[in-house]
Amino acid sequence: MTKGTVVEVIELKKEYPPDIKAVDGVSFSIDAGQIFSMLGPNGAGKTTTVEILEGLRTPTSGSARIFGVDVAKDYTPIRNRIGVLPQNFEPFDELKPWEALEYWAGLYDKKVSRKEIKALLDVVTLSERMNSISKKLSGGEKRKLGIALSLINDPELLFLDEPTTGLDPKARRDIWHLISEISKKGTTVFLTTHYLDEAEKLANEVAILHKGKIVARGSPQELITGYGKMTVVVLSGAGHEGLLEIRRRGIEATEENGDVLVPVKDPSEMRAVFQKISGIELKVKDMYTRRQTLEDVFLELIGSKMEEGVLKP
Amino acid sequence: MSRIYSDIIGFGKQYLRSKVGAFFGFIFPILLILLFGAIFTAGEGQKVDLPVQNLDDGPYSLALIENLTLTGLVNVKTIPADVNIDDYINEHSLPLALLIPSDFSAQVEQAIASNGTIFAFVTLYADMSQSTSGTAATAVEVAIVSMNFQISHAMPVITMGPLQSPGKGESFMDFFLPGVVGITVMTNSLFSMSSLCGEYRQRSYFKLLATTKLRKHEWLLSKFVFYSVILLASLLTTFAVAKLVFDVKATLTPLALIMIPAGAFVFVSMGMLLGVVVKDPESSVAIANAIGFPMMFLSGSFFPISSFPGFLQAAATVLPLTYFNNGLRDTMVYGNSVSTLANLVVILVLGAVFFLLASRLMSWKEK
Repeated sequence: MTKGTVVEVIELKKEYPPDIKAVDGVSFSIDAGQIFSMLGPNGAGKTTTVEILEGLRTPTSGSARIFGVDVAKDYTPIRNRIGVLPQNFEPFDELKPWEALEYWAGLYDKKVSRKEIKALLDVVTLSERMNSISKKLSGGEKRKLGIALSLINDPELLFLDEPTTGLDPKARRDIWHLISEISKKGTTVFLTTHYLDEAEKLANEVAILHKGKIVARGSPQELITGYGKMTVVVLSGAGHEGLLEIRRRGIEATEENGDVLVPVKDPSEMRAVFQKISGIELKVKDMYTRRQTLEDVFLELIGSKMEEGVLKP
Repeated sequence: MSRIYSDIIGFGKQYLRSKVGAFFGFIFPILLILLFGAIFTAGEGQKVDLPVQNLDDGPYSLALIENLTLTGLVNVKTIPADVNIDDYINEHSLPLALLIPSDFSAQVEQAIASNGTIFAFVTLYADMSQSTSGTAATAVEVAIVSMNFQISHAMPVITMGPLQSPGKGESFMDFFLPGVVGITVMTNSLFSMSSLCGEYRQRSYFKLLATTKLRKHEWLLSKFVFYSVILLASLLTTFAVAKLVFDVKATLTPLALIMIPAGAFVFVSMGMLLGVVVKDPESSVAIANAIGFPMMFLSGSFFPISSFPGFLQAAATVLPLTYFNNGLRDTMVYGNSVSTLANLVVILVLGAVFFLLASRLMSWKEK
């Protein structure tokens, strides 16, 4: 483990009888201050991996170390240095947010003043609701309260397991902003998600997990460069005939839903590509450029699109 | 210690704000006391045990006992003639007993000679909280009428004196009160804990707690302490209401106060064990109900165990609530500390077994 490495996972496996390989030999490391995102569909092994790191599951083999300590051997020195937001977090219904934070601090042998609680609720933009009974909070507010709870012990490493699943777009954006703010303060964040845009927007590093294995890993930009086609010129409505015509001129292209996509790997080639295309007589409705995203990378690697964590053919 | 305190406070706020918690802790026992106080009626059609102390041993007393047996309503049991009946009732926590005085046969002869102007008396001690009291009183009345018919052509020469309450109690509420407390302790601890374990597992609270410094045994201990405190408060409230509304004479003894945490211990542990063994939250609640409700009736909360068929009496001996009810009634009504302590020991042993099993089987982590 090098200096500044917070998490180091080597050949981690988790198997269940008779032959289920929930995690099948994953290896990765996370440097201090990073937002590391484990991206994958439901059942890919994200939660199993994160729960091994949280000390909640025992690995079948391999090693996982946090702050240099083997999680399978002794979790005690790690416990006080991490914060956890579990998947589908629901707060304690009958407690007000400030009471929940006071309660949670007590479980870490920590006394917190009302001022400190208010400051933490300010961080998660929930201070105006500090006296509301938790069951009356909205989905996004409940999730923010969960994040506040996970921050009560000033963790160096924060595990957020699908923090925005099931939230509306505005609540998701609020949580994204919150995660960015937490990261800016130096907290290392381990984020699992099945939202490609979330990983792309937030993470410094993304590991795409599929069937228990990491199929690709790198920064979003590296993944797009390495596995995607970077920017594409979209010839809307050009259809199959347009595709054949373009290919006849030696230009690489693909067809997607009646549109023809022409990849431009290097931005400096953009002008030349446009010149070539404009010289061809094509029936198009519109022509524009589209930057490739992690969604394209995911499609390229997995062969399926993903909606709400479910792979679509 | 501070973690346990934090958990008690955090959990306590949730419990007291939950309408269900407040209902079962405080409203439910008061409702039971008020409702049963108003509607309690004698049971029918069951043969009950009637211990009889015959100090006379003359022909009329033997005939009365034979007539009692012939009613088919009671099983006559013998109380030795050389003991004080009040002490015997207290020592054995008897809900029923019949005293035939030493000069009963002589009284009967005098009554016959007086042509019905004087009477021979027997005394029935009956815990009117028990449905069997009515059955026993009916059996004694029938036997007396039958005797009067046989010896004086129905002229009343034998009669039943004023009904006596066994132990310190003077109304059926004195005897019913411990049963209500027993039900309250069981429902709050057993039902709450089994559903709480299910909810905590379903909502991943156990996992969340496992990521804090709170340890499993500390969580278990905090629940035991919390329920002990809340149930002591419930006992005091219920007792106060029973005192104010029904003027109960049952006593709130130190042993009664010790019985409450012991009851909380056994039923909290039992609830945890159910919640741990049965993984599905809804099933654990259903099983807690399936165990708890029959236990409520089989453990002598409402009816004396002695009135049950043999196999149900045998079943009652394995129910923790039987020992809790008996212990509480023994100390509050009969002032029988020895019997209370014996019941307390059984409760503590059962509680320890359940607690050890629950804490052993409970896992906050996934396999």
